[in-house]
Amino acid sequence: MSRRILTVDDSPSMRMLLRAALTEQGFTVFEAEDGVDALEKLESLTPDLVITDINMPRMDGFGLIEALRSGALCAGLPILVLTTEASDEKKARARNAGATGWIVKPFDREKLGAAIRRVLH
Amino acid sequence: MTAMTPIELSQMRRLTVAQGDSLASSDASVIFTTVLGSCVAVCLYDGAAGVGGMNHFLLADPAPIAGEDAHLLNRYGLHSMELLINAMLKRGAARFGLKARIYGGATMREGLGDIGRRNIEFARKFLANEKIPVLGENVGGTSARRIEFRPAAGLSRCKVVSSKPVENIIVKAPPASLGDVELF
Repeated sequence: MSRRILTVDDSPSMRMLLRAALTEQGFTVFEAEDGVDALEKLESLTPDLVITDINMPRMDGFGLIEALRSGALCAGLPILVLTTEASDEKKARARNAGATGWIVKPFDREKLGAAIRRVLH
Repeated sequence: MTAMTPIELSQMRRLTVAQGDSLASSDASVIFTTVLGSCVAVCLYDGAAGVGGMNHFLLADPAPIAGEDAHLLNRYGLHSMELLINAMLKRGAARFGLKARIYGGATMREGLGDIGRRNIEFARKFLANEKIPVLGENVGGTSARRIEFRPAAGLSRCKVVSSKPVENIIVKAPPASLGDVELF
């Protein structure tokens, strides 16, 4: 059974690119456009992993990670941050909030797939 | 809006937007400027926030990703647009307030294929996907263009120029940090 990934990004173009890259590698992809949308979708979805952007309207990636880690249902859900941000400060903030990993855009499909498989193993 | 006098213009700070750059500002004393051949520059503006931005990109990776749509959403152009939008959001712009103008994409000389056209198509496709309205374009043709953009006012000016810009047409190697993964 293919593993299920929820991608969270406010850019439809980036979601399209991620969907193409992930489905090509055998993953099933669901999409949310920001943190608020992701939390709503997670009420009915049970993904194996979340990939989230940082800079998003309504609720950013940090807020999403904190919200997921504060809820028992998603406490152990792997969360990869995929962002243009590269500062150590933001990376540390994500790590402290409970992110599983940090990937800098533009992403490389093979590296992304390898990281996902490693996290899900 | 009141036209600026030459003295006022001369006092403005001109920042060159080089190939690969994405700059945003709300500073009324700043003008972004660039010269384009087959490259494309997208100027974004949020009037409510008084924030504008410009990028300058060349699609350097012709490898298809998966299907025509993904092919158009080339990772370099997409990355450039995302950096531009993020830079604007950090300065107070709202994603849903953005409006765009597209410049460049000329065919500068034989043998370069359809790079200019692909750059234009990418910009149009991206902005349509993102639901960012395009207020105007000055694209295509065979001449270089000089673009000036006042980000705080959202005013742009496009002039055809005889000098040719220096363009790195060689397909770039991906940056060493491309897709760096750090698992915590």
